[in-house]
Amino acid sequence: TVAPFWPTCVICSRTRTVHFSSLKIRKTNVVSVMSPAGCPHVNGFKVDNWKQNLRVIYQCFVWSGSAETRKRKAKSCICHMCGAHLNRLHSCLSCVFFGCFTKKHIHEHAKNKRHNLAIDLLYGGIYCFVCQDYIYDKDMEQIAKEEQRKYFFPVVCMSGVGEKYSTWEPTKRELELLRHNPKRRKITTNCTIGLRGLINLGNTCFMNCIVQALTHTPLLRDFFLSDRHKCEMQSNSCLVCEMSQLFQEFYSGHRSPHIPFRLLHLVWTHARHLAGYEQQDAHEFLIAALDVLHRHCKDDNGKKANNPNNCNCIIDQIFTGGLQSDVTCQVCHGVSTTIDPFWDISLDLPGSSTPFWPLSPGGDGSTLNGESHLSGATTLTDCLRRFTRPEHLGSSAKIKCSGCHSYQESTKQLTMKKLPIVACFHLKRFEHSAKLRRKIPTYVSFPLELDMTPFMASSKESRMNGQYQQSVDVFNNDNKYSLFAVVNHQGTLESGHYTTFIRQHKDQWFKCDDAVITKASIKDVLDSEGYLLFYHKQFLEYE
Amino acid sequence: MKMEDMSLSGLDNTKLEALAQDIYSDLVEDACLGLCFEVHRAVKQGYFFLDDTDQESMKDFEIVDQPGVDIFGQVYNQWKNKECVCPNCNRSIAASRFAPHLEKCLGMGRNSSRIANRRIASSNNMNNKSESDQEDNDDVNDNDWSYGSEKKAKKRKSDKVFLHSLKQHIPLNPNSPRRSKSVKHKNGELSNSVNADPYKYNYNTGINYETLGPDELRSLLTTQCGVISEHTKKMCTRSQRCPQHTDEQRRAVRVFLLGPSASSLPDADTMVESDCYDASDGQVLMSRLQWDGSSDISPSDSASSKASTNNSDSKKPKKKKKMSLGLNSTGGGGGSGSGGGSSSQTSLVGLSNRKKKPKLPVPPAPSIYDNLN
Repeated sequence: TVAPFWPTCVICSRTRTVHFSSLKIRKTNVVSVMSPAGCPHVNGFKVDNWKQNLRVIYQCFVWSGSAETRKRKAKSCICHMCGAHLNRLHSCLSCVFFGCFTKKHIHEHAKNKRHNLAIDLLYGGIYCFVCQDYIYDKDMEQIAKEEQRKYFFPVVCMSGVGEKYSTWEPTKRELELLRHNPKRRKITTNCTIGLRGLINLGNTCFMNCIVQALTHTPLLRDFFLSDRHKCEMQSNSCLVCEMSQLFQEFYSGHRSPHIPFRLLHLVWTHARHLAGYEQQDAHEFLIAALDVLHRHCKDDNGKKANNPNNCNCIIDQIFTGGLQSDVTCQVCHGVSTTIDPFWDISLDLPGSSTPFWPLSPGGDGSTLNGESHLSGATTLTDCLRRFTRPEHLGSSAKIKCSGCHSYQESTKQLTMKKLPIVACFHLKRFEHSAKLRRKIPTYVSFPLELDMTPFMASSKESRMNGQYQQSVDVFNNDNKYSLFAVVNHQGTLESGHYTTFIRQHKDQWFKCDDAVITKASIKDVLDSEGYLLFYHKQFLEYE
Repeated sequence: MKMEDMSLSGLDNTKLEALAQDIYSDLVEDACLGLCFEVHRAVKQGYFFLDDTDQESMKDFEIVDQPGVDIFGQVYNQWKNKECVCPNCNRSIAASRFAPHLEKCLGMGRNSSRIANRRIASSNNMNNKSESDQEDNDDVNDNDWSYGSEKKAKKRKSDKVFLHSLKQHIPLNPNSPRRSKSVKHKNGELSNSVNADPYKYNYNTGINYETLGPDELRSLLTTQCGVISEHTKKMCTRSQRCPQHTDEQRRAVRVFLLGPSASSLPDADTMVESDCYDASDGQVLMSRLQWDGSSDISPSDSASSKASTNNSDSKKPKKKKKMSLGLNSTGGGGGSGSGGGSSSQTSLVGLSNRKKKPKLPVPPAPSIYDNLN
């Protein structure tokens, strides 16, 4: 056999001792793989002005961009022997000859004229008649790629997408590494990779629960696992680097729980107000962590996140939304609008010392979100309706109206100007008023899928323009969200414990209780009390 | 089939149907061919089989769904002996007690300054009372120690000041108070304690400024006190607000180590216990976001929480003067703007007296049980 020369099998990359005896490897195929340039027979073609010639062939006969070239292709590309214009038509690379593959007309031409190479007019692949196979020559592929990009460019531009998507391919070096390390960790649906417990460092469940939510935020995970963070900090104290390390730990395949002591140290160093060995609030930790991460990130253009006008760091891209506040003067009806950035929406609950019911009229979202009012339970949508209701500010809080030039009574209303990709809802269960300190255990039902359309600033505008009846646009997917993490608090105000439900793969939920991760049902999740609710946008669009 | 210009108008339905069928099957075939090419190329370039996993790996990582074990098939609660190394003092600490250790190690617990003050007071009096020894013992919380290193610790006879802490036994009940049975301080040695870092009982682990480069010194001095002990020539590793040393001393050491240009301590807002990252009183954190140019507020001041009428939940509402109309909702009386001191944070769990600024007076009647939480 030919075994001694070729150490790896072309099909499965295993060593020859295992495979060569059982498989009939064609000598020519192995040669093609061994020489990375594809095959030695292209050398005869690569003379003179071959690159330009090849480009012309691609432009005219393979990827015809303009209407005329398409017409020309349709008319002139027919088999010179049988007239077929399909049947896997190929063009000879050495002369002007089109022949179909199916009936071997191109093969005949190749044999007769000794023109060894032909190109498939549908996909641009190069066929070598000596090797009797399609070959992949690096230089020729490069030209093909460039021509293809030119062809796709107008198409791509019109649709608004940046570039035609091409799947990842390993480089030569990567291939080598992968071949030498055959053991793989593949993430399938029944796989523990990506899940890991966290040791409680002494009342640090408030931190653990947020870490679990963040490590299961799909976009954040993808960002860190594809190594997108380039650190510019001088010292070792970059929290974003630590976050990156955390993802490595979660996807390492280790089963013992991770000890997040470095994370705690970094957070306490950078957010001193949080430091101290006491039970703390998970929501506060979330905001502080996002703040520090945001400060330590750089945006894509290389500007520091400290530039207030132009931060495009991953934290902003994922978590930052815009909250619109409209104040309407009751006298002249002039509206003053501000938009503030937010990372979370804190919602009041019934049962607190401020009145919850009745809600304002208009924009009933609860039927939209499939929550039932039958049991009388408060829904998340109720809370959102209350949050976005117009509020009369009362005579003790008059504001100076620039239209009236005097102090007037007004109403204020909040709506969402821009929704973040990940929306975090904070149910305000801890009351710290002058009279009371207590936890509000009111059950709030929250849905798996949430449509935020009724709470958007744009919806409010259309309501104000007289369209009270909001028709549900089923094709508008912009505001649809899916639940992916729920942080719960059990216990009292003074002492309690945080746990998180997270979603891994569609419809698989897990309960994260410090070091212990167990499987959970959707019912467990939806029946839980809920303190922090994390929703992820369902449909992501390019900007 | 030869291609020719054809008019569709003259054709009846069956012919049209046939044409449509032809076009459809051509499209399907082309799509299949495309897929074949993709696979062919992947095989020839050698990456087609790369994402296959071996059977063993598949089994190893399967999710377990049984009572009494987690998804990895492990029994609960077997992680009691986990340890980690403190990034600040490099000691090996039991993981479940890392947080209380770190609090003291960084000098930021609510008792840390009180204990340090007491130590200064007792060392100034050259006081050898056993009572103060016992109180000092609280500082080095035994439970921070891992079981293994306790033995190693005992061997360090060279430690002068805190030898007593080495010989403490770890009690069965981790929350019980401890009594010192150990070596009393000798006269004269306590004078060293003024400058010694109480959490670095072994002088060999103190920071020697001579071995550090200027960059390292600079970064160290942004987070640590840094005052050099006259006795040990080592730098104090406590926080910037370390009560054992004055700001004057800290300035002096920075001038000494980094040159006259470095004489100023870092800004207050990058330093220690600022109450909130949404800084107050005109100290603006650098990370303010401009949102459409219309707001100065960082998303960490969640506008939603200040906007609510629930008077308990506003985040530092007194400081929100930047909102353009300066509104605070009033519903229900006592609106968010006038919330009492206890409403300073949205939701705290289990905190009675959070110590935010070191300038707050020391709580009265301290007891040795205070830091045992």
